[in-house]
Amino acid sequence: MPLLQQACQTLYDSAFGTMLRESNNAFPVIESIHVLSITLVFGTIAVLDLRMLGILLRPISIACVARNVFPLTWSGFAVSLASGFLLFWAEAAKMYSNPAFRAKLVLLALAGLNALIFHGTVYRRVGEWKDLHVPPWRARAAAIASLALWSGVIVAGRAIAYF
Amino acid sequence: MSLYAWFMALAHSPLGRVMQTSRWGFAVVEMVHLLAMAVLGGSVLIVDLRLLGVILKGESARTLGRDLSRLLAASLLAMVLSGVALLSEEAGKCYFSPAFRWKMALLAAAIVFYFTLHRTALRRADKGTPALWPRIAAVVSLLLWLGVGVAGRAIGLL
Repeated sequence: MPLLQQACQTLYDSAFGTMLRESNNAFPVIESIHVLSITLVFGTIAVLDLRMLGILLRPISIACVARNVFPLTWSGFAVSLASGFLLFWAEAAKMYSNPAFRAKLVLLALAGLNALIFHGTVYRRVGEWKDLHVPPWRARAAAIASLALWSGVIVAGRAIAYF
Repeated sequence: MSLYAWFMALAHSPLGRVMQTSRWGFAVVEMVHLLAMAVLGGSVLIVDLRLLGVILKGESARTLGRDLSRLLAASLLAMVLSGVALLSEEAGKCYFSPAFRWKMALLAAAIVFYFTLHRTALRRADKGTPALWPRIAAVVSLLLWLGVGVAGRAIGLL
């Protein structure tokens, strides 16, 4: 068995993983937290992305919206990551071969990469374009990619149960 | 027509039949429902955190409220449409589900509250640190919408 699959199997067979999986309340509650945390992650970043596309909140500078939204998005991501890891732990062996789960991780990595590239390049010069109603095309491209990739993460996440 | 008859009519409608028989129908509609939920939640969260004076303090609550109301209305429409489709797949179960009834009651309360008292609170909060009423309105709004979300999850779990 490949090493990664072995690791997933070990997590799955563990006492903690089994307890989570068999639980009456723990798994559903953790799953509910995970689903509702989507609001904190995607809901907030979507508002920033829509501002960057010049669709709403034009009177407010992009830098200002970003500065206020990022702490919310990061808090939400921390909750999603923690709850998601626990959900993964409970079903690790099954997740290894689940195509929707794999797709979700890939899309998550791409969403992170998009954010990294954005922050490392065009956002560095936000002082030059922060008050514009519509920012440079690279910023708009990053916003569209963000909306598409995070939507993909959520869609793939929902599809997990169907494989 | 009684409420129960209306639910049954929905279940037997063409929409209901498609949702009940298609393999991916429910999943796709539920994905739309989830995405719209996130956007709706995000717009509510940002407006209410502004009312609480936690974020975007220097900005006009009115501008925020106006634009985010549009976003909320659009996402709410998507949720209602996808919600009706989801309902058509399991109308009978939902009719008898306490979680579903709670969700509808909280949804009605949240919508009414948003377009009445919450709106006046936004006008009062316009610039600077908000007074007491805007803060109360924000907390009520957050609790109502959170309740809708939790009740929605409970439909599938109870």
